[in-house]
Amino acid sequence: MTSKRHSSFCGSAEHSLDRRAFLGSGMQGSALLGAGAWGLNALRQPALAEVLKQKEKRVILLWLAGGASQLETWDPKPGRPTGGPYRAIQTSVPGVQISELMPKMAGRLKDTAIIRSLNTKDGSHGTGARLMHLGRRDEPNLKYPDLGAVLARELGRADSPVPDYVSFYTATEGRGNAVGQSGFLGARYAPMSLTTENKPLFLSRQENISIQDHQQRAQLQALFNERFARKRNLPAVASHQEAYARVRGLMASETLFDLEQESQKTRDRYGKTLFGQQALVARRLIEAGTPFVKVSRAWWDSHGQNFETHLELVTELDHVMSTLLDDLEERGLLENTLVLTLAEFGRTPTINGSLGRDHFGQAWSVSLSGCGIQGGSVYGKTDQDGQTVADGEVGAGEVFATIYQALGIDHQKDYHVGARPIPLTDPGIEPVSEVLA
Amino acid sequence: MISRIITIGLALTTLGAFTASGQDVSLQPPEQAIADVVDFYLERSLGEINQEASGTATDATLLRRTTLDLVGRIPTVREAQSYRSDTAPDKRVKMVERLLTSPGYLQHQVYELAQLLHPDDSKHLQNYLTHAVNNDASWDRIFRDLMLPPAKPEEAPEADRFIKSRIQDIDKLANDTSVLFFGVNISCAKCHDHPLVEQWKQSHFFGMKSFFSRTFANGDFLSERDYGAVQFQTTEGETKTAQLMFLSGKVVEEPAWKEPNDEEKKKLKQQLEELKKKKQPTPAPSFSRRNKLVEVALSTQEQDFFARNIVNRLWYRVFGHGLVMPLDQLHEGNPASHPELLQWLARDMVTHNYDLKRLLRGLVLSKAYARQSHWDQDSRPNPEWFAVANTKPLSRYQYGHSLQMASTSPDEFSLDDENQLRERLQRVYSQNGLAEQLDQPIHDFQVSSNEALLFSNSDRINEALLADRNKSLIGKLKSLENDPQRVELAYWTILSRPPNDDEIKLLTTYLAARQERPLDGIQQLVWILLTSTEFRFNH
Repeated sequence: MTSKRHSSFCGSAEHSLDRRAFLGSGMQGSALLGAGAWGLNALRQPALAEVLKQKEKRVILLWLAGGASQLETWDPKPGRPTGGPYRAIQTSVPGVQISELMPKMAGRLKDTAIIRSLNTKDGSHGTGARLMHLGRRDEPNLKYPDLGAVLARELGRADSPVPDYVSFYTATEGRGNAVGQSGFLGARYAPMSLTTENKPLFLSRQENISIQDHQQRAQLQALFNERFARKRNLPAVASHQEAYARVRGLMASETLFDLEQESQKTRDRYGKTLFGQQALVARRLIEAGTPFVKVSRAWWDSHGQNFETHLELVTELDHVMSTLLDDLEERGLLENTLVLTLAEFGRTPTINGSLGRDHFGQAWSVSLSGCGIQGGSVYGKTDQDGQTVADGEVGAGEVFATIYQALGIDHQKDYHVGARPIPLTDPGIEPVSEVLA
Repeated sequence: MISRIITIGLALTTLGAFTASGQDVSLQPPEQAIADVVDFYLERSLGEINQEASGTATDATLLRRTTLDLVGRIPTVREAQSYRSDTAPDKRVKMVERLLTSPGYLQHQVYELAQLLHPDDSKHLQNYLTHAVNNDASWDRIFRDLMLPPAKPEEAPEADRFIKSRIQDIDKLANDTSVLFFGVNISCAKCHDHPLVEQWKQSHFFGMKSFFSRTFANGDFLSERDYGAVQFQTTEGETKTAQLMFLSGKVVEEPAWKEPNDEEKKKLKQQLEELKKKKQPTPAPSFSRRNKLVEVALSTQEQDFFARNIVNRLWYRVFGHGLVMPLDQLHEGNPASHPELLQWLARDMVTHNYDLKRLLRGLVLSKAYARQSHWDQDSRPNPEWFAVANTKPLSRYQYGHSLQMASTSPDEFSLDDENQLRERLQRVYSQNGLAEQLDQPIHDFQVSSNEALLFSNSDRINEALLADRNKSLIGKLKSLENDPQRVELAYWTILSRPPNDDEIKLLTTYLAARQERPLDGIQQLVWILLTSTEFRFNH
């Protein structure tokens, strides 16, 4: 059967031929395959083994909500007017110093890279957070998927029994800014969001129905659904069955959120703070196959009392992050897990009248640890007071390109939204190769 | 596989019928019924490619589909059963008319348009749209009201919200207007001439933006300056001043204007401040660019974009796939699957003063609309041929309201008193608690696991849908004499059709296994049908 193939894209012949070659002439006009996507990915990779290996990669994002100060963490300026009271300490990497508030990480830089030259030009919680979730800005009529959604798609399995994308944000400040966004990838890649509980909603069976009934009614429903879908071979229809088919597995993954399953020793190691506990849950999730977990710690927005706030928060971060990295390494997971610290922006070097630091997007730091990272590397420099980037300026796009490359994902690979091809990062963006292994 | 050259050739030959509204040489005559014209063109294409169509849908299916599409809910048991047993030859026409003249049509239209015009927060324009739809406003009236909100709010309550909610971002205002009213997304052309579409250049984007660039908010009131122009940078680094340019490329004349000097600006600013303080509207400008946009967009020479867009969007709503896809890519390089059909329908829309109900009536009465959605052979045909009906996910309102109805005892809607029935149905439409917990489908919809978990384990859902009350379906089923009756009534109530023998067998077996605790059995029966794919989709 011949068909006058109307381009669903802006018009490029390459795109329509490319898709048809992979998909065959019987496929629907639907631009995204959704559930079947990983098959498409496999066809684009040189070897299936490579693909399978990539499927083991995981990410834990430590979201420092409110904007952590780079001067009290990764890029101290001791002795300068902007330096504040804390000193800098030597790390395990010769010539590299970080804040004295992070002694544990200082001894463990062998797996961690720091980018000090980030300039996102955005000092607003809302837009800054969105930028650092998506790696770019939304357009008026296009909502991009955030890092979690992209990785759920790239690294997740279509029939996964565990959630693909989990997000913890149990504080109230700034939560609205850090809401997950699956954008044009659709609801399939929306995060499982934990805001009030450490455990997702609706994972537990209601009291008034037995386990057996719960399963049997699901089975009969599935039978009817299968019959309905049999002669309606369409992605949206298939996604309905698939969503229900995952319920049992997702309910079983309830134990992943249960810290009683870990030894007392391990729980004590992570500590009694919520941040620590959630980081431990994150490790459990990625160990069981969840590709992406975000653990948010609020509220770093220290317009006043910057130094007290950071004493508390950085000490905790130092502890939790180093414990997490050690734990991952001991379990043989670190080489396939990327741990990130990101925020909506950094903080002003200039100290204000309330002994605070304000929003600052012009010259701040992020860190990347583990999978695909050149441990001990430091990229970029800020000037002696930290007011501007002196060398190696990068933006959110470059950070994201680096993340994708570290995970073995081609940052220029295209998604297709009915309108046009959308690469994972904007054209012209290159990863920071100096921090990649 | 047709080669690219032939595709371009076809595109060029259809351009003639496509671009100029006056040129209708090859079109079906205007007096033809919409339904017949639709079938004529669709069947002709099917013939050309030798593609079979699927058979006609059953009465039950067609009634459910039409009811959902026109009034946004599933049929009542009484509606479903009486339609099926009606033997009148014109029952379909009568059914469509009944639906179009019911209050449900108006209510559903409000939700549909609200969702279209403000997808992020569909409540935003509900007040205006309720007023407009209930006053039978045509589409061009709605466009006018939203672009040029009348000074007297009673004429169009809260119509200014369309612009106001976008006033902080003029680019978004320009592009949203372009997408929603003209079917053209030109945002790519903001930074450079559109790389792939010959037709759209930076001057188009900034030309459209220019219609809005003088608009601003002064306190609560929308305001427009007499002066000002948009400047932009080309990729070569040249700075240009944008002209008022419509999407067709037509440059629009405007009276000469002068940028006020600093002192004049200061004075103007003071005046604005005072008016803001007194909560008074600002005077209209001597020349309104927005007014000009409305004038140009609806003019005979330029109205193609406006007419084709609304035709395409209504077609999409009813058929689940547009004549042009994607919906915001109505341009020369992306021709319609049936260009003459689109042209004919656009002409009809203009001739009949943008009467949306007329088009909807015509579309749902076509043979194409009544096709089955299941395809019995191997590879399902491409949706652009409309050879087989699409399945469409229910919108959140359709789903929420239908769930409410489906979980209510059918006795509640089996009323002889028309007014009482109307009232009861109206109550369903006004309860949106359930709807708001559900995802609103976008194109390429995927059901999320959150939805499946919600229905599987949420106590609120349990309460809302499966509670044993005498007005609920559960309560009604309990009161029936035997299980086969229960299965039968559950199917009519929820899926709007009778069960087949196999379904009766499977479900009565299921119920029998729970006869010591019949309530459990009944609740699970209802759950299975309410959460089924068949219920969740319009098919």
